[in-house]
Amino acid sequence: MHGPDISWYIALAVILFATGSLGVLLRRSPLIILLSVEIMLNGANLALIAFARRFGHEDGQVFAVAVMAIAASEVVVGLGLIVAMSRRNLELDVDKLRTLRG
Amino acid sequence: MIHKPHVDWFALSPTLALLAAAGVLLLMAVLVPRPWRKASSALVCGAGFAAAFVFAVLLADKSPHGHAIVADAMFRDRWAAVASLIVAGCGIVAVLVSYGERWRELHVGEYYALLASAGAGMAFFVSASNLMTLFLGLEWFSISLYILCAIDYDLVGSLEAGLKYLVVGAVGSATLLFGSALVYGGTGQLDFDKIAAAGHTHDPLLVVGLAMVIAGLAFKSSAAPFHMWTPDAYQGAPTPVTAFMSSATKVAALVVTYRVLATAFPHEARLWTWAVAGIAIASIAIGNVAALTQRNVKRMLAYSSVSHAGFMLIPIAAANALGARALVYYLIPYCALSLGAFAIVAARERELGAPVTLDNLAGFAWERPFYGAAMATFMFGFLGFPLTGGFVGKFYAFAAAYRHGWWWLIVVGVAGTIVSAAYYLGVVRAMYMRDRMELQLAPAGGSPPRDLMLGAGVALCVAVSVGSFFAVQPLIDVAHAAAKSLPL
Repeated sequence: MHGPDISWYIALAVILFATGSLGVLLRRSPLIILLSVEIMLNGANLALIAFARRFGHEDGQVFAVAVMAIAASEVVVGLGLIVAMSRRNLELDVDKLRTLRG
Repeated sequence: MIHKPHVDWFALSPTLALLAAAGVLLLMAVLVPRPWRKASSALVCGAGFAAAFVFAVLLADKSPHGHAIVADAMFRDRWAAVASLIVAGCGIVAVLVSYGERWRELHVGEYYALLASAGAGMAFFVSASNLMTLFLGLEWFSISLYILCAIDYDLVGSLEAGLKYLVVGAVGSATLLFGSALVYGGTGQLDFDKIAAAGHTHDPLLVVGLAMVIAGLAFKSSAAPFHMWTPDAYQGAPTPVTAFMSSATKVAALVVTYRVLATAFPHEARLWTWAVAGIAIASIAIGNVAALTQRNVKRMLAYSSVSHAGFMLIPIAAANALGARALVYYLIPYCALSLGAFAIVAARERELGAPVTLDNLAGFAWERPFYGAAMATFMFGFLGFPLTGGFVGKFYAFAAAYRHGWWWLIVVGVAGTIVSAAYYLGVVRAMYMRDRMELQLAPAGGSPPRDLMLGAGVALCVAVSVGSFFAVQPLIDVAHAAAKSLPL
């Protein structure tokens, strides 16, 4: 196997996942939050691909391709919601979305 | 030539029936003239769920020996078939409840298409047998539900509910996915059976992965502390959607949680039984206490659904055959109670044109005796009174915990039930026992026409929630047959 050791890939995957989670928790714009969720999913994807390479079979890679398609469709729905909100002139700030509370 | 796996089409028939209905509905949304669209879409969607129900019954009858199909990607067994059956039943009632809703004319076809698609995703999800089909099924029904939550964007809060559900749901899915990747890293396998066969208990990758898989599934079953989206999404979504989400999603998520834990992680049972018991206790405590202070009935029922997720996690924590039986049995009355309660909320909402609170529910039972009596039945059922299936469900769940030797779970469950009496009986009190000065009657001429569909849906829910008390033995037999599919 060429290239760096598997643990480097896993470390990067964990860093990506952690970055994404922090983004979801800390940022206020729904757009950035969606982007952070994508980073989380891609962290998981990187881990899948790295493990698939280590085991030398393609299961993890197939999984990762499927995840990419799903992540894209999830973003489509998310962006659609954000467009609908901005058309209705709702403020794009998750801290100000508090019609529903109790 | 590419080698293709053998596909057992019959085993996939509940999913395929609903998928076909979704496709037809999307075409009809364009082709059918607008005046007929509402009735014809509801009819096709209802037919899709009815077909899925029939196929699931046949499948349950004809799959006594569970086995993997389609290159080991799916299971064909009674556990999956019975779960699909309950989901399809929820779908039928959801269609009846949806019919009278004042949908935006333009969206009615798409609404039913998404409902059928969510049902198809759940039927797929419950038969998943590897981590990839698990994730695909989860996203399939989740994405449909995100759109359904936000579909009525004239309603205050519908978009907000959709966005909140999407963000939290996506975080849950990402957690599940990362957990799956770690389990794959720990064992080199994606199939549940092979993960169990490869099990090394002390591999940190596997243990962390297992924890993240449990957390990801708990997001979907809205168990505490992963429930924060539930009250907002349930309150903001159109009420028929809430009814479907609170029942069918919970069936799918809990049934799959049991399957994944029992099939893929039998060697780690000492770890996950404790984790699940912890989540169950947190859900019962947080759900019941938070529900006490709610005035909005949908929000109160949302917290009640969090607490019921806790009650239904008790049999999972017990990890024995009795627990598997208890879960399947409990889901049947729970779905009827939940669908029925939200259907009544929908009826009152349509009457008032405003969100239903405990205040404007005052005197409801005297205005609409049937709906009032039905709502009282549902509240007593949630509480676990005899003469409703809720009693037997809780009893079986506690029996499973007792057999596992965890009597303290029963103590928590009973304490939660006692606390819950305050808010469930609060609804009954609001409907029946308010004096005339407190009544806020609907403005004259404001009442909508009789909604026979909704009435039929409520009657069905009453029949199932009371019937499941009297027909315990046949239902337990079904649950027993389903539970035998799991290696417990």
